[in-house]
Amino acid sequence: MTQFVLAAVLGTLFALGTFLVLRRDLVRVVWGLTIMSQAANVYLVTMGGLSGGVPFISGHGGHGAETTDPLVQALVLTAIVIGFGTTAFALGLSYRVYQTNGTIDLREVRG
Amino acid sequence: MSEVVILPLLVALATAIVTLGIRFAPRLQRAVSVGGALAYAVAVGLLATRVLPDAVFSSETVADAGTILTYQLSGWQAPYGITLVADSLSVFMLAIAAIVAVAAAVFSTKYVDEIGQSVSYHPLFHFMLVGISGSFLTGDIFNLFVWFEVMLMPSYILVVFNGGEKHTDAALKYTALNLMGSAVMLLAIGGLYSTTGTLNMADLSMRLSNAGAEGAAISDPTPVLGLAALLLAVFALKAGIVPFQFWVPSAYKAAPAPATAMLAGVTKKVGVYAIIRLYFVVFAAGTLPQDLAIPGLSGTSFLAFFGPVLFVLATASVLVGGVGAVSRPDLDGLFAYSSIGQVGFIVLPLGIAATVTDPAIVALGVVAALVYSLNHALAKTLLFLLSGSIEQSIGSVRFDDLGGLTRAQPLAAASFFVGGLALVGIPPLTGFFGKLLVFDTAGRAMAAGASSAWLGLAVALVGAILTIAYVSRAWSLGFWGDPSELIANMRLSPQLLGVVVALAVVIVALGVGFDPVLESARAGAQAATDPAAYREAVLEVEA
Repeated sequence: MTQFVLAAVLGTLFALGTFLVLRRDLVRVVWGLTIMSQAANVYLVTMGGLSGGVPFISGHGGHGAETTDPLVQALVLTAIVIGFGTTAFALGLSYRVYQTNGTIDLREVRG
Repeated sequence: MSEVVILPLLVALATAIVTLGIRFAPRLQRAVSVGGALAYAVAVGLLATRVLPDAVFSSETVADAGTILTYQLSGWQAPYGITLVADSLSVFMLAIAAIVAVAAAVFSTKYVDEIGQSVSYHPLFHFMLVGISGSFLTGDIFNLFVWFEVMLMPSYILVVFNGGEKHTDAALKYTALNLMGSAVMLLAIGGLYSTTGTLNMADLSMRLSNAGAEGAAISDPTPVLGLAALLLAVFALKAGIVPFQFWVPSAYKAAPAPATAMLAGVTKKVGVYAIIRLYFVVFAAGTLPQDLAIPGLSGTSFLAFFGPVLFVLATASVLVGGVGAVSRPDLDGLFAYSSIGQVGFIVLPLGIAATVTDPAIVALGVVAALVYSLNHALAKTLLFLLSGSIEQSIGSVRFDDLGGLTRAQPLAAASFFVGGLALVGIPPLTGFFGKLLVFDTAGRAMAAGASSAWLGLAVALVGAILTIAYVSRAWSLGFWGDPSELIANMRLSPQLLGVVVALAVVIVALGVGFDPVLESARAGAQAATDPAAYREAVLEVEA
């Protein structure tokens, strides 16, 4: 059951992200990129297995039937930190675009 | 374990941090930045003497891949920990980075305005170098993602460095595309981890080669092929290969000239390196359980699938880049489009090599790609720096404003002549050997029975003609003719011109004394086509 719910959520998140990236409003584009990178993070967590069992370390990256792989969670933490930095930069850049162009409508932003 | 592997990384990191800390003393900061770039070159040189085979230094010809040095972070053995690996392939790429970095760092001290330098330019430059070195050295695919981000973050800021309308627009495209690329890369890496159970490149290669056997970690390697294809899109985006080239022209025009030199000369090569490393060393170990059921593709090896894909991408790049460059109205736009075409020339022999089975031709294809990468890095750095120094002097590089530079600035014109001819491929410059090796790969593949290799030959020929067309157009519009008043009175800064002339000398010198370069490239190709040795060195087991 969890699998279907998560698959549906991931699909929705990617669809939403793609929709926002294709908008004219720059801030929405940045939101879209953020949602997509977060969706990638959620996807990464699901790659460790969804059993919810307590992880133990016996074999590297093994697919134990009842345990959840903890490594992907460490990967996601790294990816979240990187995503935080890039989102901050993208928002800062959006403000600069507004300063230099006087608009955040992407049809009018053509340097 | 050998600590010398992380030396280039440490030098670049230390320089970045120190230049960040001494912003109050601009002259000292500049000295540290240039000194750091030189120290980086020394560190890479030291690593090269340990890794490259003796043949490079004594000019004997023996097929030898050199030594593979590994550094297991925190002493965690591969495949459990993160491993940094220096083999001849990595060292060849690091050497390219070192040459371009020294030239760009020296150029920056006079080119970038004082405030920009003291606020952020030098730390950004060296942090980018940290990311580049890490990407060349890592032996772990998630770690590769992290180094990519370390490299991209400063490059976003360098593209928008001048902060005008054009620059923000270019940075917007560049950032948005690369953020998408990062998300896709995470998807591919997550999928690879879930299907193979490892992130270590050597272990991944090992598991792929054992796939399907009894008790193996991977029972069916087919999903790995799809995930590897997803990953290829990310690397193609980094390398600026068609159809992922949209960010290239505007970003190269927007960034300050020395930063553009780094982007075109080195950052692009990170994409090329990742393609060679992952597809020829790691994924090449995989074979499909049954024949590919896709029209136009045959064979069961992963490379048989990626060969035609790389070939199509390369062909499109050569044509789009060449045709785009012929019609540009300005010098830096022309170089930016030419950059797309030249990366096509680098990927073309890889595409041909991936379709043949003879190991000698595969190695030759990688040699061609490596030599061409070196040539492109040197020539493009020279040309972008030259266009930067002209722009700084007269405020424009449009062909309408240029003309007559041969009379007004003979030294600058001579340097352009060398850089241009290196792109075209005239002996004895490095570009000649690059082109020769590309044609040689296609010719030998054809002789070995790869019937479609004639297409590669045709593409290379059309690409070469387009290169001649745009270089001679730039020459006749920008350099011949009578100098206008603007050109006649222009003054190029001697230091900036000095860097450009020095690069021209390096191109000629490496072309004349080509033997060590060829031997290093051969060692690099040998390392790239021998996955067994790579696995053995990293995992410290008998392959």
